[in-house]
Amino acid sequence: MDMDIPLPDELELLEANYHLHEDWTELELPEPDPEEYIEEDRQPASGSQSPPSTHHQQSTETQVNGLKRLRAVDETTAGPSDEKRSRIDDEDWLRYSPPPQESDPMVEERTTADAVEEKIVWRYASEIDGDFIPVTSLGDRVYAKISRVEMEERPQRLHVAGQSGGLILEPVDVLLQRLEQEAFTRALQASSRSQSDVILPETPVVHERLWVDKYAPNSFTELLSDEQTNREVLLWLKQWDSCVFGSEIRSTSDEVLSALKRHSSINQHHKLSDSKFPRNNRGSRWNNEKFKHFNGMNHENNDSKRVQELPNKSRSTGQPEQKILLLCGPPGLGKTTLAHVAAKHCGYRVVEVNASDDRSSSTIGAKILDVVQMNSVSADLRPKCLVIDEIDGALGDGKGAVEAILKMVSADKKSDMEKENVNKEQTSGKASSKKGRKSPSLSRPVICICNDLYAPSLRPLRQVAKVHVFVQPTVNRVVSRLKYICNKEGMKTSSIALTALAEHTECDIRSCLNTLQFLNKKNEVLNAWEIGSQVVGRKDMSRGVFDVWKEIFQKRKLKRQQRTNNSCGILSNEFDSLHSLISHRGDYDLIVDGLHENFLHLPYHDPVMQKTVKCLNSLGVSDLMNKYIMRTQHMPLYAYQPVIAIIVHRLVAQVQRPNIEWPKSYYRYRTMLMEKQDSLRSWYNTISPSISRHLSIKSFVEDSSSLLLHILSPSTIRLVALHLLSEKEKNDLAQLVSTMVSYSITHRSIKSDPLPSSLGHQAADVSELSFDPPISGFINFQGYRSGHHVLASTMKQMLAHEVEKQRILQASIGRSAHLTDGYNKENQASLGQETRRLQSGRADHVGASAANNGKSESIPNRTQSNPSTSSVSSNLGNGNTAAGTKLNSSGCTRRSCGSSSFFDRFRKLGKGCQNTAEAVRKEATSERDSRPLVFKFNEGFTNAVKRPVRVREFLS
Amino acid sequence: MLWVDKYRPKTLDQAMVHQDIAQNLKKLVAEQDCPHLLFYGPSGSGKKTLIIALIRQIFGPSADKVKVENRTWKVDAGSRTIDIELTTLSSTNHIELNPSDAGFQDRYIVQEIIKEMAKNRPIDTKGKKGYKILVLNEVDKLSREAQHSLRRTMEKYSAYCRLILCCNSSSKVTEAIRSRCLNVRINAPTDEQIVKALEFIGKKEGLQLPSEFSARIAEKSNRSLRRAILSLETCRVQQYPFTSNQIIPSMDWEEYVSEIASDIMKEQSPKRLYLVRQKLYELLVNCIPPEIILKRLLFELLKKLDAELKHEVCHWAAYYEHRMRLGQKAIFHLEAFVAKFMSIYKAFLIAAFG
Repeated sequence: MDMDIPLPDELELLEANYHLHEDWTELELPEPDPEEYIEEDRQPASGSQSPPSTHHQQSTETQVNGLKRLRAVDETTAGPSDEKRSRIDDEDWLRYSPPPQESDPMVEERTTADAVEEKIVWRYASEIDGDFIPVTSLGDRVYAKISRVEMEERPQRLHVAGQSGGLILEPVDVLLQRLEQEAFTRALQASSRSQSDVILPETPVVHERLWVDKYAPNSFTELLSDEQTNREVLLWLKQWDSCVFGSEIRSTSDEVLSALKRHSSINQHHKLSDSKFPRNNRGSRWNNEKFKHFNGMNHENNDSKRVQELPNKSRSTGQPEQKILLLCGPPGLGKTTLAHVAAKHCGYRVVEVNASDDRSSSTIGAKILDVVQMNSVSADLRPKCLVIDEIDGALGDGKGAVEAILKMVSADKKSDMEKENVNKEQTSGKASSKKGRKSPSLSRPVICICNDLYAPSLRPLRQVAKVHVFVQPTVNRVVSRLKYICNKEGMKTSSIALTALAEHTECDIRSCLNTLQFLNKKNEVLNAWEIGSQVVGRKDMSRGVFDVWKEIFQKRKLKRQQRTNNSCGILSNEFDSLHSLISHRGDYDLIVDGLHENFLHLPYHDPVMQKTVKCLNSLGVSDLMNKYIMRTQHMPLYAYQPVIAIIVHRLVAQVQRPNIEWPKSYYRYRTMLMEKQDSLRSWYNTISPSISRHLSIKSFVEDSSSLLLHILSPSTIRLVALHLLSEKEKNDLAQLVSTMVSYSITHRSIKSDPLPSSLGHQAADVSELSFDPPISGFINFQGYRSGHHVLASTMKQMLAHEVEKQRILQASIGRSAHLTDGYNKENQASLGQETRRLQSGRADHVGASAANNGKSESIPNRTQSNPSTSSVSSNLGNGNTAAGTKLNSSGCTRRSCGSSSFFDRFRKLGKGCQNTAEAVRKEATSERDSRPLVFKFNEGFTNAVKRPVRVREFLS
Repeated sequence: MLWVDKYRPKTLDQAMVHQDIAQNLKKLVAEQDCPHLLFYGPSGSGKKTLIIALIRQIFGPSADKVKVENRTWKVDAGSRTIDIELTTLSSTNHIELNPSDAGFQDRYIVQEIIKEMAKNRPIDTKGKKGYKILVLNEVDKLSREAQHSLRRTMEKYSAYCRLILCCNSSSKVTEAIRSRCLNVRINAPTDEQIVKALEFIGKKEGLQLPSEFSARIAEKSNRSLRRAILSLETCRVQQYPFTSNQIIPSMDWEEYVSEIASDIMKEQSPKRLYLVRQKLYELLVNCIPPEIILKRLLFELLKKLDAELKHEVCHWAAYYEHRMRLGQKAIFHLEAFVAKFMSIYKAFLIAAFG
């Protein structure tokens, strides 16, 4: 800080312009000055005095060299803490006289080493700059480099400089000017490059750089992609500002201040460079650069403002709603570039993770964590922005990337609340350091880039991320950029050829540029008509099925010039492109389904439906073909499938953008059909085989379903207590119950599923009763009201009760029948028939059935304990089953009547059983076995009966 | 129990319709030489009833004792073994199954079952080696491959088992199989036969059945005995003392189809076609076979159509039904028929009224 810039020889000469220079250097460097005032008291004096000092130091100029050199070394290390100001000034001045001298000899003597020494000069000068800005009249640009200087180099520099000798006034001046100019431009370039290098760590290969890299947009306005998307991305990034920059500043104020300072110095540099810029012949960029830097400045200013505001402001808002940005689109449209440029623009340091590099969840997770949470220790203190490229390439085990991000997002949501609290604490407490907290949450913007939005691995990410779909930039935009680049590279092209190229590659800028460069290298000229053969190759990509549908349904707009060509050519072109598109996609079944689903929505003109008929016919052909292929396994025939889609295209394609839906209805139909068939089948399995063997799914839905429903819900049965029904009504009811039992249908309350509207007359009921195999569903068509009567829910309840009873009864009978099976089958069957006929008139079925019940329980024990009585029991069994079957067929009337005298049953049961038991076996066991205890609890009602029971009865 | 099941003839003697066939079958059994049989005819005509009665005639009442079994068959198909699950209904002497449920693996199932039946032949009471009967339902839905594999098996194991095939249309059964069987055509019962059957039931149930009413039921039943009897019972439930002009409830899906038909007649445009498509889906979802939908739709459309168009429309209906049977996605072809009809009809309208 003890420097002096004399340039003694020139001073006189330049005195005239001098003041001018001084003025504007001072204007441009307002900030560092005050700071330096604070730091060192000596500075203001020197600063202010420097102009005069240069003046009167002229005289001492000659003494300088040898003596002062040593001192200079000392001074720099020890620091200028001594003596009078004037002396220091003198000495400083003396000490620093070398630079101009040094440069002089260099120009004269070592022209070869120019570059190196220029650099030195420049750096040195920049070091000086910190202190004595006003003095450096000529090298005003040089000062921009101040911040990079290292102290250690200084002595060395001095040494070199010291050797210089003579002074040549006139030429030196001129030379120096030129030199400095050169140095500066180079420095500028270097600096700008170094800046971008930080972002994109790439080795700048000077000659062989790809054009793609060479002309990659550096600023926001240069982007080719859709303006809307660009802005939205930028907006999203900006939403992070308060969270990212704010908290950073608050927590580590020192660091940030220094960072800020540095930023500002960079800013200055930018500003200087901007002012200098017109002299670089990158004319077109100048505006952009300026724009960008100003923006940066504003940003910086905002930040510094925020620093001031911070203590007052409690930070409640922060990150944007969706913490992840997902950019998707076909390759080569500039997604990655946009991400980089936008992030840079917002003051982030971009860290790119390529998901196809790190594929396991742990590594990529750690990497992401690093980026998102660590503060960098390296020189660049800008916050990081994570760009995960090609995230859809991370398939298979590489789902890790998505998982890791999702984990962080979800963790973030959880910790949002507490974090807010902590933040508040931080703002108030101010002391707590941020680095202590390491919950894995996202605090930095994350941009993911993918090609295929619908890749399966991205499904979870799609839900949490903000998705932007890239659209192709307009051909005009692409062409104008291509033209610009071609001009720069000195390649001759016509805009027609470029347009053709852009169209051919579908506006893939990368591919365009690569092609152009390739052609340029070969010294060939892009030819509009031979692009197909000239261009190295088409992208062989398969596109999403939605794109395929869109292509089929949307007619490409034809250029006038193309239209003037023979239409045959266009047709074949279109045919080719569609054909390749569809056959690359494969999956014809799905494509055809999509066509079928959507083509009726297209606004094609079709007065007598002929197009529609043709479309459906060709879809039908596709279906036939598909079945034939599947049946005979003639896979090569698949080659003819795309043609069908093309036929449809020719018939219905419109210029308007189609609204395409996924073919849901066919799949819905398939699944629902399966479901219903399954429910029917399982229902048939529960029906007794003698009935179900006559049923088939087809015959049921075709002939029976509606009628069966009518029968099952008769309108004639009055809703009264059972014993109030007339004999006829009882008969009807019994008939109904027996039907329901034999078809194993019952009413069951279905809570979750409300009855379909066609049947839901009683909407008020919360728990609707409906048929248990949901047969009512089979006549429930959308937009159709069937005239079916619906039973009152109490009626249904009663029916369900009766059915349940009947079923239990039958089950017990069935068991006994099954047991007797073993003894003599034939006999029993015929006997059953006989007795059925005989007993049909008998009245006391209740008793009989009760007895039957009892017996069914008693038989097993009997047969086990005493095989000798088998003949007797078998006889008895036969009788029982006969009664049972009879009851089964016609006794339901009595069942329902009998239910009113419930207790009677038990009484009679006991008696009847005892009788039979006496006939066969001892009383005790039969007594014990004879009482069937049936417990069945059903929702809605209970048939519990109190009666003393012993435990062993349960155990039997 | 529904009357359909209650009054189903149990023996060949009890048969109400097709008595002649029943008698012939009885003679066949009496001679102890039962060939393979192929029953075909429309649904609701009584094929299944005849088959069961026939089995009962052969094996006696033990044939009534059937049990349902859900079996998994392990089939060795070359390099791998396939598990096929199928529901069978069997008594000691016969097995009934629906091989088309196995989908495209049906060819294995038939052979496998027949082989298994051949392994354990029953020995009848007189010590003679008897045979078992295999009843295959819905043979017309069997794949061509399955039918081909069936043909050799039929001959090879004919000593051990007899096949009774049952289907709606014999045209889908290959020539080879048809020639190996005694074909029994079961016609749909005529209206008179249906009336007779209804009267029989009415007498058994003790109902007063006006003759016009039973005639109306018969007429509305589409010559399906099952539907006629069910309709009768429905009417009985809804209103007992029958009146001759009582409403006979119709099938809901038929009502729905006629709705579709009137939709089609009202407007002919792609938009309307889309609406129709939704409705057709509704029908298909409810397990209604597409062939029947097409048939019914044609029927409903013809009712409303000018005479000179009927011929053409019928032709196209046949055309699309053919394609539908060849293809998989019935909706395509149904819709194509509707579109074709719309096209024809609209052209006709334009020609007629300008």
